[in-house]
Amino acid sequence: MPDFSPTQYAVPFFVIAVLIEMVWSRLRAPDAYEPMDTLVSLCLGLGSTAAGALFGGFALYVFIAAYEYRLFDFGAEWWSVWWAWPLCFVLDDLKYYWVHRAGHRIRWMWAAHVNHHSSQHYNLSTALRQTWTGSFTFGILFALPLILLGFHPAMIAIAGGFNLIYQFWIHTEAIDRMPRWFEAVMNTPSHHRVHHATNPRYLDRNYAGVFIIWDKMFGTFEAERTDEPIRYGIIKQLGSFNLIWSVFHEWIGMVGDIVQSPWRHKLSYLLREPGWSHDGSRETSDTIRARWIARRSSTNPVADRNPIAADHEAA
Amino acid sequence: MEIPPLLIQFGGSIIAILAIYLLARAMGLGTTPKLTDEAAVQHAANEVKDGFSPVRIAIARGGAAALARDVDGQIMVIKRHGNQFVGRVLTRSAKVCEVVDAIEIDPRETQFGTVRLSIVDPGYWADAINRL
Repeated sequence: MPDFSPTQYAVPFFVIAVLIEMVWSRLRAPDAYEPMDTLVSLCLGLGSTAAGALFGGFALYVFIAAYEYRLFDFGAEWWSVWWAWPLCFVLDDLKYYWVHRAGHRIRWMWAAHVNHHSSQHYNLSTALRQTWTGSFTFGILFALPLILLGFHPAMIAIAGGFNLIYQFWIHTEAIDRMPRWFEAVMNTPSHHRVHHATNPRYLDRNYAGVFIIWDKMFGTFEAERTDEPIRYGIIKQLGSFNLIWSVFHEWIGMVGDIVQSPWRHKLSYLLREPGWSHDGSRETSDTIRARWIARRSSTNPVADRNPIAADHEAA
Repeated sequence: MEIPPLLIQFGGSIIAILAIYLLARAMGLGTTPKLTDEAAVQHAANEVKDGFSPVRIAIARGGAAALARDVDGQIMVIKRHGNQFVGRVLTRSAKVCEVVDAIEIDPRETQFGTVRLSIVDPGYWADAINRL
């Protein structure tokens, strides 16, 4: 059985790429980096690795147990079945799409994922802002179908590692657009900038990991527009560089809401979308987008109906 | 005493992270943006809350913070955070106090902190916040 962790080998590359992007930022876009933000992002990355080592054991136990019930058997030397590797990579990326979508649409999952989005910057250090608390969600359930199909947990872990490495380079403003054929199939810096945006038009869009085709298939794709500058972060920006707060703020908020809400709403604060409240006093991405669309059509009704009219209003 | 390899790796990573942070500072990355006029405040306010349209604005001396009030009477406090701006629409729980030449606003939100604004008409804003 191969004992191989691709992300470990990629770390030196990550560091060198961040340094190169910092030089680019110095020359072309000094605002692309903020030293304190970078410090927090890198600490989140390191802490995520430590948290994975500490709490990842449970997921491994579940996966190995589930593997005993697999439908198909690739044999004792499963790693030598060459075609299983690309198939596993593609299916794992499909799994990533759904777990990522759940990470944005279910508050319990969002509590763990939010720290990847809480930077107001978008650079390669943002890619390393990984969760410390992913083991405390039900995200592992999304991998079970792959294991039950017969893919070994180690094969899935390696495919997931390469998926994570791919996603590193797309966290940059230094690259505008890739060739059209590439943009059509693959996730790119342009597509992923949209994902990190808080503009109403872009909220909860482009969940893809490697292949953008999943968003196109499942109706969540939005192309980046040249006439609409992106603002990054989360709806309620943290306003703090406190590392511990950035890790746990959504968990604290969610638990507080569950404790304080009436019994019949408690589960909704766990499982409904971020921003949902039982009294309607808060905003979800859907309500923000709906208000923006309503405002847009009331202020610019002709342009909205006219396909040749340009729309330059920033969302 | 033998130090576990994982601990050495962790310590080395912390040193590398601090080195990158210090390098970013030494390279002068990140500027210090200022709210110089009402258009800048409008832009920042709309980023804090989509569609927020100020009818009255007060910019703190130095341009590091501002207050904005919309037609519905909502008041937003905006402050510089790193090289970006962040803000909050104030609620009834917000606290305001007048100091020598400024007002200090505490939106009563964990980790957001108190915002000090040296503005032209502090009394007007203090009253307005107290009446929320």
